Amino acid sequence: MSALAPADLPSAFGIEAVGAARSFGSVHAVRSATFTAPYGAVTGLIGPNGSGKTTLMLMLASLLKPDAGAVRIAGHDPVTEPGAVRAAMGWMPDLLGSWANLSVRTTLELTGRLHGLTRPEARTRADELIGIVRLEAFSTQPTRVLSRGQKQRLSLARAIVHDPRVLLLDEPASGLDPEARVELRGIVRRFADEGRCILVSSHVLAELEEMADSAVYLDAGTTVSEERIARARMSLRSWRIRGLDDAALVAALPQLGVDASRVHADHQGTLVGFASDEAAAAFLTHAVGAGFAITAFAPAVGELEQTFLELSRDGERTAAQQLADRAEDPKEDPNKGSTPKPPQDDGGLR
Amino acid sequence: MTFATGLGTVLSLELRQRVRGRAWYILLGVFAILVAVVTAALTFALVGLSGDSDPDAGSGVLSTIIYFVLLLGTLVTPALSGNAINGDRADGTLATTQVTQITTGQLVLGKFLASWITALAFLAVSVPFLLFSVALGGVRLDTALVSIVVLGFELGVVAAIGVGLSGMLQRPLFSIVVTYLVVAALSIGTLIAFTLGGLVIQSTVTSTSRDFAYVDEDGTEVCSEPMTYTYSTPRFDYFWGALVANPYVVLADAVPTSFDRNGYPDDLFGYIKLGVRQTQIAPDLSPEFDACSYVPIASPVPKEVIDSTVPSWFVGALIQLVLGAAALALGWRATRTPAGRLAAGSRIA
Repeated sequence: MSALAPADLPSAFGIEAVGAARSFGSVHAVRSATFTAPYGAVTGLIGPNGSGKTTLMLMLASLLKPDAGAVRIAGHDPVTEPGAVRAAMGWMPDLLGSWANLSVRTTLELTGRLHGLTRPEARTRADELIGIVRLEAFSTQPTRVLSRGQKQRLSLARAIVHDPRVLLLDEPASGLDPEARVELRGIVRRFADEGRCILVSSHVLAELEEMADSAVYLDAGTTVSEERIARARMSLRSWRIRGLDDAALVAALPQLGVDASRVHADHQGTLVGFASDEAAAAFLTHAVGAGFAITAFAPAVGELEQTFLELSRDGERTAAQQLADRAEDPKEDPNKGSTPKPPQDDGGLR
Repeated sequence: MTFATGLGTVLSLELRQRVRGRAWYILLGVFAILVAVVTAALTFALVGLSGDSDPDAGSGVLSTIIYFVLLLGTLVTPALSGNAINGDRADGTLATTQVTQITTGQLVLGKFLASWITALAFLAVSVPFLLFSVALGGVRLDTALVSIVVLGFELGVVAAIGVGLSGMLQRPLFSIVVTYLVVAALSIGTLIAFTLGGLVIQSTVTSTSRDFAYVDEDGTEVCSEPMTYTYSTPRFDYFWGALVANPYVVLADAVPTSFDRNGYPDDLFGYIKLGVRQTQIAPDLSPEFDACSYVPIASPVPKEVIDSTVPSWFVGALIQLVLGAAALALGWRATRTPAGRLAAGSRIA
């Protein structure tokens, strides 16, 4: 596979969504999704269960029509130009379906042919993909005998049969063992380095942490605004601290300038909240300078997870606030927490 | 990729994934054995028993085999076609096909063709037995060819209805059952409607008859006074149209009938055609019988009945064609992506 030259690309963004919304009957699965995902990078799509991640993915994958707003994949609108979108986009669904009676190789060959490859092209491509996702040992086996992890790799291979510029991966890491996850991460990072635009949704935030360059947060069907993310990032972040003599270290924390309200303990030891990396670094310098033998000092959770948790907390607060507000004013707009970004510059798309 | 290339890919995918399998070959084998038993029994009955071999035995055997294939084909095809689309959705393989360059039209049409071809495999298995019946003699080429073509058409209609319903309805089991119900409505429902309709609408027949009373002293036959009496008779002639779309009737009515010396049909198609055509003739509401001025009542021979009534197979075939095409069109509409309005409780992937 060749790296994609930026000149081929009509826009800096592989994925653009502006106020995209979709409801099923009275259920508003996605209320307003506004975000962009650039080429050459992995963008995480993060949100709690039921926040609309899969519905958003389906709109991006040209399977669902947005009720409102618009979506653009590689510069094309899935509603008016599904063919162009599908030529540029690969989608790995969260549901792992495969043609149970067909072998791995036949599955990939036929998928290639469905994408318009000629028979010899499809055959060559299938062999190539079997190598990329390391399913050589199973290439002639019917797909029904594959394990979950192997099916996941097959699903990834199927998504990239036509060498797409934009990749949508819906929960690609769920159910994978650690080794397979490391492997997946390697493959996804390589795709990004080749200049593709990759959107990965996942519950495994630690996994996304290592894979994603940036993230889109989805909360109750609405993409979270930049300000809210910034606010969430400013809140206290927990750092895990361990010393040779833990008891003495914990006892000395107030003298090191840490208020007792910022200190927590869990089954693994002590957690201390810091408002910023600078504050954490200053504390560490101070503690080491005071003669404490520190053996471990690191953020307890990753940045994405921290933001996600903070947003969830924030969301609960907002929801509670809204309920209280609504009790006073029944016409309260439920979407007031979000501030949709202005539409992105087309960059001469049309 | 041209439309035909994509269609071909979907077709080959369908035939390889959904159909091929050991169970399928066992089913075909069982079917072949059943046809063999039927052929052997019929041959024994028509040729072996009568001693003087019936020169037209072949057409009787051929028409029975064709009907047998129609029966089994319409029983198997709903199960093969009725989950073509929603079954893929349940397996999680529909959406991954829809994000390729394949259009919904290619997908639906490919699935329909695959189901049809699969149903035609039953016809293919019965070909040796059809050839055997031809070898028995008396089979007209046009009868054989037309019956095979109409049989193929009927299987296609069932396949189209099944694939269409599998696109319209969400649950595979439900769409298979509905396909069976449609087949039952065409095969048995039409017959029930015809019978009930005829029984509900009855006409009064006023029959006049004069009987032979006695012979007087001159040896002259003396007749009684004319007697009239009334009774009611079902009016099937108003309802023969209900049978038009019945697959068995379409098959019988479309096939050219050959008659023996006495004007009687020589195969099952002909007898069913005769039975259906007879219902077109209105009953005589004021029959007169006069035993004294005896004129033999010339009841028309089957050939005359068939020649004097109107064929209906093309109307039935047209109705079935519209049914199948409408099912496919609605199935296509419900399967299009990006999907707009979805039925409650349905999912796309």
